This record gives sequence, C-alpha cells and structure tokens, in this order.
Amino acid sequence: MIVGKQKPFDEIWDMVKGFKKVLVYGCNTCVAICHAGGSKEAELLASMLRMRAKQEGLDLLIDSAGIERHCEPEFFEPLDEKVKTYDLILSTACGVGVNFLADRLAGAIPVYPGINTSFYGAVPEAGFFVELCGGCGNCILHLTGGICPIVRCSKSLMNGPCGGTDKGKCEVSSETDCAWFLIVERMKKLGTLEKLFEVQPPRDWSTATHGGPRRISLEHIRAYEAEEEKKATLTGEGK
Amino acid sequence: MADVAEAAEQILVSTVEAPHDTPADWTPNVLAFACHYCAFAAADLAGVMRLSYSPSVKIIRLPCTGKLDHIHILSAFEKGVDGVFAAG
Repeated sequence: MIVGKQKPFDEIWDMVKGFKKVLVYGCNTCVAICHAGGSKEAELLASMLRMRAKQEGLDLLIDSAGIERHCEPEFFEPLDEKVKTYDLILSTACGVGVNFLADRLAGAIPVYPGINTSFYGAVPEAGFFVELCGGCGNCILHLTGGICPIVRCSKSLMNGPCGGTDKGKCEVSSETDCAWFLIVERMKKLGTLEKLFEVQPPRDWSTATHGGPRRISLEHIRAYEAEEEKKATLTGEGK
Repeated sequence: MADVAEAAEQILVSTVEAPHDTPADWTPNVLAFACHYCAFAAADLAGVMRLSYSPSVKIIRLPCTGKLDHIHILSAFEKGVDGVFAAG
C-alpha cells in the first residue's frame, strides 16, 4: 500500500490560513491504514485547524469529509457538488489522490496536500511501516530471493553488497539490514544461490520514472467499457 | 555568527507570551468522560453518599473509556472546555 505521513501542522496552517472555506478531504484506503489521511485523521485535522483559526482570530470555515478512494472517479461523484462550494481542498490522500482531484477540478479550486506521500510499504506490526518496493516497473524479485535491492539496499546496488556491509547491517544505518546480506542468506535457504552467478544485462531504467510518466492500458477492458457505454446510450440508459 | 544566533534567541524569547491573569473566582470548565462500569458508578455512589463536587464538572457516561476517541476530546476543547478528564 501507499504509506504517507501528515505534514507538520504549522506547514499545513501556512497553506490554509489565507483561505475562507476549506474542506479537509480524507481518503479511506491506504493513507487511512497508516493513520495519516483517512476520514478520521481529516476530522481531527479540521478540528485542530478550527482551533488555530480561533486562536489567531481568523474567520475560517473548515469542514471535513472522506471517501473510500481518491484514485478512481466514481468515488468522488457523491461529493462533487459539496466539494465545489469550498475555496480550498486540503487533501489528506496520497500524492496520486491530490493530482487526480486537482485534475478533476481543473483549476477551479486549488487542491493542497495535507500529507507527505512516502513510499510503497507493508505493515509488519501495528504502527510500523516499511518500504519494500520502489515501483520500478521491471521486477527482478525472482532473481533476488524476493528481496528488492532497489529499495532495500540504501544504494540500490544491483550486483551484490558494497564494502559498507557489516555483519548483516548497512553502513548508512545500523538499524537497516544489508539487503544483499539478506538476499544471499535467503537464496542459500532456497537453494538458488547459483542464480547470482548468472551475468545480468545492464538494467533498463526506462520502465522507472526515468522514462517519463508511466501508463498501463488494458485495451480489452477499455474496449468492453466503450461498448457498454455505447449500448447504454442507444437504449437511453446513458447518463 | 554568534551575534546572529543571540539575536535570533532574543526574538524567540520575546515571542513567549506573558501568562494571562486569572481572575480569582475563575473555575475551569471540566468535561469528564466516565466509564459506565467504574468511574461513572463511583460518581453515582458519590451522589448517593451526598458528597459534592464542583458544578463546573460535567460528566458524559461512556459504555467504556475505550469508546473515547480523539475527536471527542478535540471537540470538547473546540467548544471551549478548559480540561478533559477521562476516567475508567
């Protein structure tokens, strides 16, 4: 899931204090799991902002709302009209959600981020989140024992540990495991260590953000949806 | 550099507000969130025993203090309560 962390309160306050009517807009999927930007966090943030406005003697109307996802259009629809009545949307969704809503509102209302989107991560224990995938678009986990060297190695090394590996820990932080130590140990257990001796071609980073914004288009799904839309229009059931 | 640091420190110190004068007769408005099974029962017993407590304390009975959420506390402060007492 996408992991994020609420921005420092003063930074948020600086963003919103110049507006009159603000909606703190939460997303109840990934960022709700990491206690950063769900409906609950949006409600708390709105309450804190209202108190700050009162302390500063500013006349600010601050409401909160939440929807299940900020990354698919149909989830926005029930609140579309309400959203248009504000002069700032403070989104506590991830960066995807902020971009998507800003595109949807097309410059009519600004959409500001309430959280810092941090990484794709897992939740090994409640309240603890770790980065496990870099979303590079060219997965090699079958070659590295299921451990990603791109994000779990501090230097994203692709060809084994650096000289800074120290008894299984990373020289960047003693709290960080050396990803290549983990990879070798895992592959020993899997009995696939010899795979590491295979020479790999230079990595193609064009599938990562180095190749510009990425898109995936499932043509059969899009064609099916277009066909359904056409049928609905013909039978008068379209919107 | 030391002068700059000292000046910055003085600015910081000067922004610290003087404490507000508190009127002698002021009593804080306190909202108590009490668990039905213990603290609220205790408050009830206090009533039966004719014990009194400040009328500026208002009690909200909860089925359990586990029901208490951050937003309840923030809402109380937003509405002007001076202190929140969670008892359970």
